[in-house]
Amino acid sequence: MRIKRLHVELATAVTLAAVGALGATGALELGVSWSDSGPMPGYFPFYVGIILIIAAFASATQAIFRMRMGSEEMRETFLEPEQTQRVLSFLLPMVVFVVVTVFLGTYIGTALYLFYVAWRNGGYKPWIAILIGIAFSIALYFVFEKAFQVPLHKGPIEEMLGIY
Amino acid sequence: MENFELLMGGFATALTPMHITLMIVGVLLGLIVGVLPGLGAPNGVSLLIPLTFAMDPVSAIILLASMYWGALFGGSTTSILFNIPGEPSSVATTFDGYPMARSGQSTRALTLAFMSAGIGAFVGIVVITLLSSWAARFALRFGAAEYFAVYFLAFCAFIGMGSASPIKTAVSLSLGLLLSTVGMDTVTGSLRLTFGLDALLSGVSFLVVVIGLFGIGELLATVQDGLKFRGVASRIDPRDVFKTMLELPKYITTIIRSSAVGVWMGITPGGPTAASFMSYGLARQWSKPGAKFGTGRPEGIVAPETADHSAGTCAMLPMLALGVPSSATAAVMMGGLMIWGLTPGPMLFSTQPDFVWGLIASMYIANFVGVILVLLTVPFFAALLRIPFAIIGPMIVAICFVGAYTVANSTSDLWLVLIFGVVGFVFNKLEFPLAPLVLAMVLGSKAESSFHQSMIASDGSLGIFFSNYLVGTIMTIALALLIIPQTLKFIQYLKSHKSVDSAA
Repeated sequence: MRIKRLHVELATAVTLAAVGALGATGALELGVSWSDSGPMPGYFPFYVGIILIIAAFASATQAIFRMRMGSEEMRETFLEPEQTQRVLSFLLPMVVFVVVTVFLGTYIGTALYLFYVAWRNGGYKPWIAILIGIAFSIALYFVFEKAFQVPLHKGPIEEMLGIY
Repeated sequence: MENFELLMGGFATALTPMHITLMIVGVLLGLIVGVLPGLGAPNGVSLLIPLTFAMDPVSAIILLASMYWGALFGGSTTSILFNIPGEPSSVATTFDGYPMARSGQSTRALTLAFMSAGIGAFVGIVVITLLSSWAARFALRFGAAEYFAVYFLAFCAFIGMGSASPIKTAVSLSLGLLLSTVGMDTVTGSLRLTFGLDALLSGVSFLVVVIGLFGIGELLATVQDGLKFRGVASRIDPRDVFKTMLELPKYITTIIRSSAVGVWMGITPGGPTAASFMSYGLARQWSKPGAKFGTGRPEGIVAPETADHSAGTCAMLPMLALGVPSSATAAVMMGGLMIWGLTPGPMLFSTQPDFVWGLIASMYIANFVGVILVLLTVPFFAALLRIPFAIIGPMIVAICFVGAYTVANSTSDLWLVLIFGVVGFVFNKLEFPLAPLVLAMVLGSKAESSFHQSMIASDGSLGIFFSNYLVGTIMTIALALLIIPQTLKFIQYLKSHKSVDSAA
């Protein structure tokens, strides 16, 4: 089944309303009424959450209304299969990059990520792709750790290599 | 005259070798950021802020502001040479810039864009110089209630005057406000909405959100359509540059009209993007007969560029004088100011005159430096876009994540960037505006604490927001901005409906 723009509009609205509800219920625990010193801590987030829920539903209603009025835009496919494939081939390595970075450190993660994308998506020879990855990691090291003295996240392998 | 003396003092601060170097570095970084897809002014500035923690605030703001000017110039470069707007605010420049470049006049198109951008920026800075002391003195009369009214006005103006759907703008604003309440409450000191997660104790950093929304989100939007860079030759011929400069006086009315639009949209929260489109539209309506717009007409380049840059510079005025930024980039810079321990607003002018006037003076110099640098380096920066995306794309991604990590040295922020990257992509596709979300995140805690203070002062009566002429007027304007455009649209809708009915 093709996912139309209308479906995504509705899904987004429901998600946003859920976020609003989450905020509002979280705020309820803090007290949303008035105390001697003015509004209680939950007051502001509670009402903002309520406004978000209302606005999200209004946005959903508007989308349905426009669909009923015969808007072509709402009937459009949200992402063509080709586009989905392009977005995923970019997004998935990025997710893996984050996981690897969290566990193995920035430099290893970055080098592997650049290597993989240049090799798989860019069609470079593996050894050139590896060189690109390593060169960029080294550049990051010198810019951040040396020039600006900002330490980046490190993992066990960096520790083994004695990079602090 | 008092402003003039202060400005001279500012030049003394700005014209040190160190600060001039920072301006050049800032403009060059900005050009890179402006040229590359996925890196725009707001998230370029966000990425740079963590690196400025150790600098003194004057140097830091000069660096960041120069980067902003560079990004504005860079965005126009790709619009003209590649038909790819590097920044949302340079979309209107593609309409006539790219056709002119394709007809073999790329030097003329670029020179027109950069010169009119420089002039637009200059007009904007003159306005800031003349108005800032006055605006700050005016704002000194503000109490908590007035401040809340001003924030409220900014939110309402986004809903009423923004180019996006009002409902979607309201969604973005309230989502930003809700995110700003996560973590330690500045008024009562209690922890809010952390849901037992340690990562949320210190709140959700707007820098991280900006990097996700504008960086990763925009990259995903770029890859979905596949990248086709059909570039135009980017060699700059100095003789053409001078010929084009001599051509500029012909467009004087366009320049004046466009800078007026830019100044207005920059001070009110219309922002540079809206300004450039509006100015392009006006130029098309008012122009003398001649070649059609969209086929490489010079006014079609001059108008959006002038407005874009005058709006970009003028956005600094409400940020400095009131603490209310009117563009996403200004909002990020204001967040930076607060991180450096400065309080944006009228007090800044009396307590930190060096900072304020150093920044204003640096804007004159940096924009001048920018025009020259961009003319000299265009071929080099255009070459950046010829690097295959399979290499430059992951590099941009890596820089975004590294930048997000340096905000608070926390790996949980990496997940946030990923989440907000997807949010940014979906919001982009569904036309939810992103700038209001950023503005709300930066202003959220200030809006809340001013609301809190006014409520304490009034014993919980909302009447305080109409208790004197000043606050009452601001509130009325805010409500008018919220209601009138919607009512007009509704009336128009009813009318068009009626005419359809009667026709049937």
